[in-house]
Amino acid sequence: MDEFKDFKEHSVAEFFKKNRQMLGFSGKIRSLTMIVHEFVTNSLDACEEAGILPEISVEINELGKDHYQVTVKDNGPGIPKTHIGKALGQMLAGTKFHRYIQQRGQQGIGASACTMFSYITTGQPTKAVTCHNGKKLTARISMDFKKNKPVVEVIEEQDTEESGLTVISEYKDVRYERSNYGVFEYLRRTALTNPNAIISLLEPNSEKTLFPRSIEENPKRPFEIRPHPLGITTHDILEFAKHSTETRLSSFLQNAFSRVSAGKVSELRDLAPEVNFRKKPGDLTWAEAEKIVEAFGKVKWIAPATDSLVPIGQQQIEASFRNIFNPDVLVVTERSPKVYRGGIPFVIETAIAYGGGVSDANKKGELMRFANKVPLLFDAGGCAITETIRSIDWKRYNIRNFEDEPIAVLVNVVSVHVPYTSAGKQAIANEEDLMAEIKFAVMEASRGIQKFISGKRKANEIATKKKVVSRYIEQLSADLASLTGEKKEKLSKKLSSIVEDKYVTMKDDEPETTERIEEEKDESEGEA
Amino acid sequence: MKAKEKLEKLGKDMVVQIHAGEGPTFETTLRTKGNTIYDEGLGCLRTGDKKELRKYLSVAQARTFMQTVAIAAKSKTFLEQDLHTSIRGLFYQLKFSLGEEMDEDLFTEQSESNALIEDLEVALKLKREDLNLTTDRKGFVAGGMTIRDRFGGEETLIDLSKQGRSGWSIPSDVDNGMDIESLDAEWVLVVEKDALWQRLNEDKFWKKENCLLVTPKGQSTRGTRRLLRKLADRKLPVYCLMDCDAWGWYIYWTIKTGSMNLAYLGRDFAVPEAKFIGVTMSDIEEFKFLDKLTIRAKEVDIKRAEEMLGYPWINRSKDWVHELKLVLKTKKKIEQDALQGERLTFVGEYIKKKIEGKEWLK
Repeated sequence: MDEFKDFKEHSVAEFFKKNRQMLGFSGKIRSLTMIVHEFVTNSLDACEEAGILPEISVEINELGKDHYQVTVKDNGPGIPKTHIGKALGQMLAGTKFHRYIQQRGQQGIGASACTMFSYITTGQPTKAVTCHNGKKLTARISMDFKKNKPVVEVIEEQDTEESGLTVISEYKDVRYERSNYGVFEYLRRTALTNPNAIISLLEPNSEKTLFPRSIEENPKRPFEIRPHPLGITTHDILEFAKHSTETRLSSFLQNAFSRVSAGKVSELRDLAPEVNFRKKPGDLTWAEAEKIVEAFGKVKWIAPATDSLVPIGQQQIEASFRNIFNPDVLVVTERSPKVYRGGIPFVIETAIAYGGGVSDANKKGELMRFANKVPLLFDAGGCAITETIRSIDWKRYNIRNFEDEPIAVLVNVVSVHVPYTSAGKQAIANEEDLMAEIKFAVMEASRGIQKFISGKRKANEIATKKKVVSRYIEQLSADLASLTGEKKEKLSKKLSSIVEDKYVTMKDDEPETTERIEEEKDESEGEA
Repeated sequence: MKAKEKLEKLGKDMVVQIHAGEGPTFETTLRTKGNTIYDEGLGCLRTGDKKELRKYLSVAQARTFMQTVAIAAKSKTFLEQDLHTSIRGLFYQLKFSLGEEMDEDLFTEQSESNALIEDLEVALKLKREDLNLTTDRKGFVAGGMTIRDRFGGEETLIDLSKQGRSGWSIPSDVDNGMDIESLDAEWVLVVEKDALWQRLNEDKFWKKENCLLVTPKGQSTRGTRRLLRKLADRKLPVYCLMDCDAWGWYIYWTIKTGSMNLAYLGRDFAVPEAKFIGVTMSDIEEFKFLDKLTIRAKEVDIKRAEEMLGYPWINRSKDWVHELKLVLKTKKKIEQDALQGERLTFVGEYIKKKIEGKEWLK
């Protein structure tokens, strides 16, 4: 299937109209989550790039059946008037598409897709209020589908001291729901992996939730590196080639990808003789690109640099988990980078939270999947993370039934090239090395909570025993008082302190013995 | 030590433990099948030596411990007020809520309190009758004996030879507030059924033979067994006439050795001296008319016979093994009433013949 060719021959927008599910707009709840995702990730990226601690507010209003208005406001640098149309009204016009950087936006198709989705379903343009460099611009943005060109209608321009972008758009054929696939869960998880941000949500029922900031510092910006040949797909090569200014394929390969030297190009020539390495990169066909990827796989490469990976960080995850979940116990792993497919670097971050707020939120056996900090809410069944978690023998870690315990597991796969299973980018492919590392990481975290859980269980058991035994102190004291003439209050006070002592100081090596009390009885006779 | 003192001591021992900072406990004898033994010397069943410590500080025992003490305390008040009640009455006295916030009754089922009464009997080495707890009455006596009965604030002399057709109903407790004033009988005859007792009473069998005529009306109550024990203590031979089936025979064995269930009562409730004079399977051969009066043994009779063959204190007797095996083989039984089949007065002749000829099973 040559998606890219379609992009060229028809308008991108036309293509989108016909294939919107390919871009994640499938299902009413999922579509709304995707829309919020587009705007929120754009806002997070914009703020961080400008060195601003993000404050993002999301508002969902119900306008009718399956008809909602979505408002996303940030405190970022805003967008200049000259770019606002491109940013919101032209497909594939963003800056991210051509950069190879560990960035959130890779997951989506961009804000323009939302503008289009809005326009297709409601006929309404998207309203933007952008405050940039002292200018406040209010505009309506729609698009010319045939030409893939934005249409900007300026409503108002004035001076301002504020900065930031607010996008207001409405959609039909979407639905708000507080399910595991909905906006609420998406933002909660986003807050979890973005401890530097304040994120607030106003739901259609007017309920307001604030996910507070846990860390007063933006994360280190990932720096751009050229992609390593081993992580490249046919589609990627074509995409890069299209935007290349090089005149020859051979020089394009050397400049666009890391570790590709002239020597390696000649190796590639030998491996893919049918490809003309002198042709213009822009003329590269799908079949040729496929051959090159095939050849990439056969060459022995120097591994890519690992310092391009920016994990969330142990302290950061800890801080946000405490803030958002406040669990009884929390273990966050910090592991060194590994490689998969022979050379693509990645880092696995895991956190396991148990009890406390996890119980309060009524979360049981919850797995939270992330790729480069972005929550993966959909397609859990086919995901390598899900599969790995299922393969773990939880009983070894004192977790009797994973599905039934107040436990939340976070797995964040950090890589410049996350191997997704499909264009929807919601599930990670079953890469052997990746899965093994996920398993090790989760097991490491599990060992951390194991001891706690056994201690807690023990404490629970003791508390239960204490409750049972305490229950009858009053009655027993009253009867002993009547048998002996002793003061009842004196006895019950003393008994209480005995019970208190016994069930607080009881050590592990002091198992409570319980004698048999009910024994088999001989059959009853006529005795009354 | 009197019952009231035993109850108080039970409480005091626990209070001492509490003051010493320990959880209260009491010791009792294990009442299990495994701890039930047949005592050769005593000739009856009794509990073995295995002890058991009941603890309040145990999740499994806390409730029953509290309940046992509640029974003890309640019994003490009965004794102090000199009032009696049945074990059902006790249950109702103790069937109250443990507190508004607890949603739990001290007792919910009588079976709970019944079992704990037995516990208390064993632990304190006393009988429930000593705690002013009564049991159902069932047995009757007629004969030359006078009873002094102090009850309800009055004292009465009861002449068991002047009870007409109904006889004296054996109370649940023949020890407390009751004495044998005079005894003018040489032996005791126990017949299983009330019908036969009435027949022999009409014949004034007890007057003619100078015996006490007793019927437990089926399985013996504690009161009946206690009375028989007291009569045996006065050296009166006790002869038993039961139905010729395993059920009737087991009634005899309960009188003689006590039951598994109440083994903890030991010799106080057993009459090892009691002798079984009939009816036996062998009687069918001896008295030809009986052969026509047999009926089919029921399932329960067969089952009981098999069980009895398994009891070591029974299966060591050749006579008994012979009889039981005959039941299993012929699957027949005879009711004691069948002895009246030929003529009403034959029963008396049969009994005299058996006793005089010492024809009892050994």
